[in-house]
Amino acid sequence: MLSFALRRTLQALAVLVAVSAAAFALFYAAPADPARAACGPRCDNGQVAAVRQSMGLDQPLLTQYTDYLAGVVTGRDIGDVDGSVIHCDAPCLGYSYRLHQPVTEALVDHLPVTFSLAAGALAVLLVLGLGTGFVSALRHGGRTDRLLSGFTLVGASVQIYFLGYVAQWALVYSTGLLPLPSYTPPAEDLAAWAGGMLLPWLVLGFVNSAVFARLSRSQLLETMNEEYVRTARGKGLGRLRAHLKYTSRGAAGPLVQLLGLETGALLGGAVITETVFGLNGVGRFTAEAVSGQDLPAVVGAVLLAACFVVLFVALADLVVAWLDPRIRLS
Amino acid sequence: MTSTVESVSGAVPGPGPGLAFGAASGLVSGPASGLVSGPASGLVSGPASGLVSGPASGLASGPASEPVLSVRDLTVTFADPRGGAPVTAVRGLSFDLAPGEVLGLVGESGSGKSATGLAVLGLHDPRTTTVTGSIRLNGQELVGATESELRPVRGGRAALVFQDALTSLSPFHGVGAQLAEMYRLHHPGTGRTEARRRAAAMLDRVGIPAARVRDFPHQFSGGMRQRVMIAMALMNDPKVLIADEPTTALDSRVQRQVLDLLDELQREHGTAVLLVSHDLGVVAGMTDRTLVLRGGVQVESAPTAELLAAPREPYTRALVGAALTLESVPGAPLPTVDDPSPVAGFAPRVIGQPERWLVEVADLTVHFPGRRRFPGLRAEPVRAVEGVGLRIAPGETLGLVGESGSGKSTTARVLAGLQQPTGGRVLYDGQDVTRPDRELRRRLSREIQLVFQDPYASLNPRRTVAQALDTPLRLHTSLDAAQRRERSAELLEQVGLPAAHLDRYPHEFSGGQRQRIGIARALAPQPRLIIADEPVSALDVSVQAQVLNLLMELRERLGVAFLFVSHDLAVVRHFCDRVAVMHRGRLVESTDRDRLFSAPHTEYTRELLAAVHQDGPWRGSVGSSA
Repeated sequence: MLSFALRRTLQALAVLVAVSAAAFALFYAAPADPARAACGPRCDNGQVAAVRQSMGLDQPLLTQYTDYLAGVVTGRDIGDVDGSVIHCDAPCLGYSYRLHQPVTEALVDHLPVTFSLAAGALAVLLVLGLGTGFVSALRHGGRTDRLLSGFTLVGASVQIYFLGYVAQWALVYSTGLLPLPSYTPPAEDLAAWAGGMLLPWLVLGFVNSAVFARLSRSQLLETMNEEYVRTARGKGLGRLRAHLKYTSRGAAGPLVQLLGLETGALLGGAVITETVFGLNGVGRFTAEAVSGQDLPAVVGAVLLAACFVVLFVALADLVVAWLDPRIRLS
Repeated sequence: MTSTVESVSGAVPGPGPGLAFGAASGLVSGPASGLVSGPASGLVSGPASGLVSGPASGLASGPASEPVLSVRDLTVTFADPRGGAPVTAVRGLSFDLAPGEVLGLVGESGSGKSATGLAVLGLHDPRTTTVTGSIRLNGQELVGATESELRPVRGGRAALVFQDALTSLSPFHGVGAQLAEMYRLHHPGTGRTEARRRAAAMLDRVGIPAARVRDFPHQFSGGMRQRVMIAMALMNDPKVLIADEPTTALDSRVQRQVLDLLDELQREHGTAVLLVSHDLGVVAGMTDRTLVLRGGVQVESAPTAELLAAPREPYTRALVGAALTLESVPGAPLPTVDDPSPVAGFAPRVIGQPERWLVEVADLTVHFPGRRRFPGLRAEPVRAVEGVGLRIAPGETLGLVGESGSGKSTTARVLAGLQQPTGGRVLYDGQDVTRPDRELRRRLSREIQLVFQDPYASLNPRRTVAQALDTPLRLHTSLDAAQRRERSAELLEQVGLPAAHLDRYPHEFSGGQRQRIGIARALAPQPRLIIADEPVSALDVSVQAQVLNLLMELRERLGVAFLFVSHDLAVVRHFCDRVAVMHRGRLVESTDRDRLFSAPHTEYTRELLAAVHQDGPWRGSVGSSA
């Protein structure tokens, strides 16, 4: 198990370095000149050159990249547009010339909203997805199964920006059942936090639950026919208990893996959901960075999202290995 | 029957009349026989008691004790999920199982034997399966019983042992925990520690040391896993044990050990056993009575010894005759259901020293790279084949025998050009085939053909028989489309199928018919060598006899050489001219068929033969059919 964990960690690091290199190449692949973008439209060529030098953009690409990587590990000093030098603490993901703020700091400011959104949405997704999947599998072929399958199909085919606005109109504006979506730090007011996030949680969770419901249904159906489930029934376990103890365990692997991927993706920022409900999380931040040609911020956000995905996929692998001794011990 | 009488009490003198299966008495192990007393007399009683003659009758007579399991007019029907006609798996089956009795339920695939076993525990899915008739366990009616009535029965008063313990035990839980759960389910209120202690004791009883109680099923060998399965089934001292092909997946030496254990425990606990099997050899050594099923209907039921020695029904006769033993006449045509007493024999086979060997293999080694642990770090390579040498003369049939993992299939794959050897020389007709050029590759693909084990997996389900046969003809002959079709029809008739079936798809044929199609496909380019990897292992006994007859006939008519890979010594003895024995990647012995079976040279071969001989004259095999 230890060797497995170690191997998995090394793999994760390798992926992150690769992603950082690809993201960094953005600087040069992008049509915009980062120095001109940072300097603003009124700069003349001389000013742009000065900015370029101050930002270190005149250095060879490899040097810039190694400086960047070193900054992630140890922190570094970065030149601002006006020539002043700002210290950026580790893990330094660069400096946003648009916000005049280190990217890491800006991202950290937006994280609580994204964390809150992701946590609640995941809870909804799990309950809805696994619940409908389990019931569908138990009643496969019957009316309940068809009804639930149709329900999840709606979830899979409807877009968040549509469902989000419709739900907001129906539940907030016309009936007032839910408060207007907003973010209150949970430490300040837990009830306001939950109330304000409830609608985004439900919408994001419901839309993402469809894949989960379908996968869990097919996984459970497949595992139900396993001989060890029949053995469990032959031992005298009831149908439900046999399925809960044995079938679920056998079906869990791919679900855990999907959950890991989903968690990583949600933590990287839910751009559309945040935009629809006016929540200022990592997703909104990234969207604004892209439209504002704030390349350091974009690269930082991409790296952060990659980190989350890699981290949770690796965690999921470990959980799968822990769940299945055949993987754990081989 | 007689052997059972002997085993019940050592006092019963001598073999009774009609002792046909003396070797079976070897099954009775020491301490067990002393334990069987009193109620175990039911072993020889029951409806069969009138048949026991001589000194034994005193022991067996008297009012037969109440049957522990009584099945009357059992019918099991599966609904077709796609809305087709329902399939009746079991039709009007009736039998009794006396306390402590061992009843064999024998039949070929689709005979309804497993469906019967599952019905006893009510394990059929009620939404797709209809069970009618009556199943009484200790007087309690189980057909139509509610789930809550059935739950104490399952694993409590009646328990199941399935064929494949690897898939039947939960891969996620330690074996001790799985046994403990079995106990606690039927002894509510028992503490975890107490249940674990009992589980460990039971595992110890079947020969699994306490240190391994926490291990998972995949960490055990096949035989050990089946021991765990049996231990679990006996955890609550059930009245009835249903063993569904309990040893079919095991190598024969291991099969013997597991059967001995089952026999021992059955006597210790006085459990009545319903032994479901397709293998007459297993039934011969284990059971008091045998019931033969065909197509869900009872064909014949009699004391086992009597049934095997003098089967009354033609089907049973064919089944018994088709089952090869080490006493069958090698190379003789086998009786089949359609032709229970074949007359025409084959010409005696004479294979002299050839001018040039068709196949010459020397010092063949095949290693598979070990698992990657870290980049640049690998586990030890798997040495699948180590220094094997073989020769096949034109027209000769060489049997390649070994237990699972002995490297026999890998060797065959090298010959077929499907596996690059790590080292050694492989000559076909004098030419090195390990690095073939275009020309030679073409020649090999024409002259060497393959027949596989699984007739279901080796035919493309989306191509008709005509298409399957057409491809090799198109590639290797210059016939035009019409001629190819004509030749395909001939080929089909050659393997005993009507030419009218050319445009059918594989799913429209039975397993045996599909294997014939596979053989026809192999024959299409007129090969000189056919490599057959366990070609009859997946087939039922009677179908196996048909296919073997076909192969013997084709061999005589066409003069094709065979490399016949098999784990089944009886089949190899029947079909092959020479036999090579492999063990752990090495060649142990390679000699004439008759010499190998009458005077084996090596200890390992002797062990293999001994395991088969212990089954009495009944066939046994050296490995699983994997």
